[in-house]
Amino acid sequence: MKEGQPSVVRRMQSGFRSSPRGFIFLSLLPALVLVLVFTYYPFLRGIVMAFQNYQLFDLTNVHFIGLDNFKTMFHDTKFQHAATNSVYWVFISLILQFSIGLTVALLMNKRFRGRGIFQGFVFYPWALSGFLIGLIWKWMFNSQIGVINDLLLHLGLIHERIGFLSDPSWAMTSVIVANVWYGIAFFAIMLLAALQSVPSELYEAGSMDGANGARKLFNITLPYIMPTVITTTLLRAIWIFNDPSIIYGLTNGGPAGSTHILSSLMLDKIMYGGDYGAASAIGIVMIGILLLYTIFYLTVTRSEKLGDF
Amino acid sequence: MKRNLSKGLKVVFLAVYLIVMAFPLYWIVITSLKPQKDIFSFPLKYWPDRLTFQNYINIIKISKFHIYIANSLLISLSAAVIVVCISVLSAYVLARFKFRAHRHVMLGFFLTQMLPGFVALAPLYLLMTRLDLINTRASLVLMYTVGLIPFSTILLKGFFERIPSSLEEAAMIDGCSRMSALVRVIMPVMLNGIAATFIFAFVQNWNELFVAVLFIDDESLKTLPVAMNSFVMKFDVDWGAMSAGTVLSVLPTIALFAVAQRFIVDGLTQGAVKG
Amino acid sequence: MVAKRNNKMLFGATAGILFLGVLAGCGDNGGSSGGSGGKVTLRMIESLTSPARTTVLNEMISKFEAANPNIKVELISPPFDQADNKIKTILGAKQTLDVLEVRDLTVSEFSNNGYLEPLNDYVKNWPDYATEVDVAKSVATLNDKLYFITNGMYQRQMFYRKDWFQEKGIPAPTNYQEMVDAAIKLTDPSKNRYGFSFRGGAGANGVPDTIIMNYNFDNIDHDDSTFLKDGKTMYSTPEAKQALELYVKLYKEGSPKDSINWGYQEQVQAFTSGVTGILLQDPDAIPALMEKMDVNTIGTAPMPKGPSGKAFTATGGGGWGITSYSKHKDEAFKLIAFLSSPEQNTYFAKKTALIPIHKSASEDPFFQTDMYKTLLLMASKPDEFVNLKANTKYPGTSQWGQVAMESGQSLLLGNVSVDDTLKKWDQFWADQRANLNK
Repeated sequence: MKEGQPSVVRRMQSGFRSSPRGFIFLSLLPALVLVLVFTYYPFLRGIVMAFQNYQLFDLTNVHFIGLDNFKTMFHDTKFQHAATNSVYWVFISLILQFSIGLTVALLMNKRFRGRGIFQGFVFYPWALSGFLIGLIWKWMFNSQIGVINDLLLHLGLIHERIGFLSDPSWAMTSVIVANVWYGIAFFAIMLLAALQSVPSELYEAGSMDGANGARKLFNITLPYIMPTVITTTLLRAIWIFNDPSIIYGLTNGGPAGSTHILSSLMLDKIMYGGDYGAASAIGIVMIGILLLYTIFYLTVTRSEKLGDF
Repeated sequence: MKRNLSKGLKVVFLAVYLIVMAFPLYWIVITSLKPQKDIFSFPLKYWPDRLTFQNYINIIKISKFHIYIANSLLISLSAAVIVVCISVLSAYVLARFKFRAHRHVMLGFFLTQMLPGFVALAPLYLLMTRLDLINTRASLVLMYTVGLIPFSTILLKGFFERIPSSLEEAAMIDGCSRMSALVRVIMPVMLNGIAATFIFAFVQNWNELFVAVLFIDDESLKTLPVAMNSFVMKFDVDWGAMSAGTVLSVLPTIALFAVAQRFIVDGLTQGAVKG
Repeated sequence: MVAKRNNKMLFGATAGILFLGVLAGCGDNGGSSGGSGGKVTLRMIESLTSPARTTVLNEMISKFEAANPNIKVELISPPFDQADNKIKTILGAKQTLDVLEVRDLTVSEFSNNGYLEPLNDYVKNWPDYATEVDVAKSVATLNDKLYFITNGMYQRQMFYRKDWFQEKGIPAPTNYQEMVDAAIKLTDPSKNRYGFSFRGGAGANGVPDTIIMNYNFDNIDHDDSTFLKDGKTMYSTPEAKQALELYVKLYKEGSPKDSINWGYQEQVQAFTSGVTGILLQDPDAIPALMEKMDVNTIGTAPMPKGPSGKAFTATGGGGWGITSYSKHKDEAFKLIAFLSSPEQNTYFAKKTALIPIHKSASEDPFFQTDMYKTLLLMASKPDEFVNLKANTKYPGTSQWGQVAMESGQSLLLGNVSVDDTLKKWDQFWADQRANLNK
């Protein structure tokens, strides 16, 4: 924006034939119209249902019920449990995805033999559908016919089959493992891109000051890529929080609701309960949580200007 | 000594990482080469006794996979191209000008990332029936485009901010309109950013399932994820077809990565830095 | 320099694709309209989809179109996973749709919202209706209104591993107690062998509901089979407690721990891959068994009985209905009548491994084979295997699976007692009944 501001002023003064005002309007028009009509409009229509008794099996009886859906929701132990799970789900997934992604990116930053092939294996999970990832991992995690138990038994690492998805003390760990496996690619790509942009002069200067590897990493590399780190971790947290597809595919929230997060609980209300009112109420709470989180995150990282809002 | 140790650690880490990442792919490829009866036979076979390409032949001959691949390619590519065109304009304006609604527009785009989409699905379906767009490829192109505009705009805005505005000013003094300056001067300079956005958009579109199931009725218009999802049946998951389909569906994306890899790595750099 | 040329090429290609994309994207409009030149287009959707079934349906539809050149049928086949949700969305938006597959799980919800056209008047002039078996008619009827013409029926039977039972020297179980004992005997975790293909995930309510119903055999209200003759739910009795305790034992001692999360697919996969020895399933599981197993190792037996020495067998089913807002109801029924004729339905039933709806079909040699003959045997002893209409009239029918699954998992994990679980289930159905009578 620093460069943008004066140039506009100059433009206004010199009076070019295409007025910036019209240009701004016309350029933003397609994006704004599409997003308003096809994202916000249906969403607002959907969100009204949070205040209605809106059940698929009886659409003849749709009426406003005030905050009843919210009251029912807050008293539901399933909701409380899912909210707690969401916190674990987001933070553990995020921390692991990020730290492994960063390590991989740092290692891949230097050329080595086979880097191309290696990159292929880093990228490919990104090229799979969410439902497919759920399905594949569900099959591999199966304790009787799944390959992971079989492999661990062969290697002698375990002596008894583990119910990765059926034992409540394992289930959450297992879905997080699948989520981490899937999500590393995003960070690896984004952070690798950022690392490659660090000007080599900075490192050269660092070397002259006698900085070693670790000091270079913390004093030069990380500060330089910090904006990327903040944007990607923020967006990723939001996406992980909102995406039910891996849990839906793997455990569908089970056993006994022990792996439900808020977004999978919401999907559950729609798919099995047909209760759009309850689902929308969860949706509103989810947006509220994300807004609070975003404000908190941007304040703590002191990057209010990050997106140049 | 210390150097060797850290190098050794690196190799070990990369090797372990490679094995963990690659194993599911290995297992899928192996499964796709097994005859139906052997897929669920015990003990598990880590290398098939009998290799067969029957699963591939089946999904192409019987399931007409080529049609779904063609649809997916057409829809994903079209939507990705349109997203890029629209987002280039909005991102450019947001990067170059400060105007009264600037903050609101950015906030509005950012907020879309937080909306849980499933709540909007039923009203969206209603809207699409009104527009008579149900059961057209256009409906998916439209939905995918809309879904990606906000993120693409935020991403591309970062690229524009790295390009000095003196570049298009010079062109405009030479008599170019702002639009032609953007297209002829600025865009060629940041093609890497455009390629990065394009790849991101393409991959998202290529994998989308729920909207595609809802909006498409005709067999001849279905996309790849929908076709794959139908291998999940009431009593059975057809893992032979599913694994062969997975291999075929990953190939185009990997090919695209390979071609555009230089652009992405070089490109995402600049955009992502500024966010 | 080279990079720059590449850039230009990419740009050119991009522009070209854009043009192509817009062209193709917009050129494919229409299709959902009524059609032109006096030709009627029927839109039809199936729910219990599989690629093989869709092929069979398309074959039958082509025959219909050949016989009725003025009618064109567009079949919509969403993936099984998402099909019912898609149907609900289409109906909710009143998007053009003439024929739809209605299931025993969805009939109440659809008719409650006024989506379905009652077919009572249509079948009056349809001769083939007379040869339909009573069960097929009653499955499709709700409050005296016929909402669909059944296209196939489900009736569970017991599949078991003949070779395992021989090895242990035990006969095929005839009642639930024997089944649980057999399952425990067959279980040997060190060999990764378990007695029973348990299903604690999606659709988990099937087995406990059946056991509880059979333990309450004498008191069940035959017209409202979740309830007793005195109006209480079947979950409220001491017999229900016995039944549910047996069910918990079946899981804990005779089934894989992992099966608490299994749905249909894992349940069948475990049986086909030789992990489990007993499977209670509908006939449409047969093709998967035949394809993946040595057929000589599979035995079939009637469903287990309760302490009374008799068994209720609840027959389920789905079929073709007409939307209340269809503009071509007569043509739609013509299509349904064609698909439901003895010839076509028997063909469909064979291909999809369901029980056909016409009396004549049971004489077909196909249904005399090993895999199906037990079903005929059960049908031939109506005093021993008392057929009950699946209870579909409550709107909660489609939710029940989910409620029973979650509370059932808590029970199996030992978090909740048998008594508390039964209380919860009792409450659910008591509420359903209270709401219905309101």
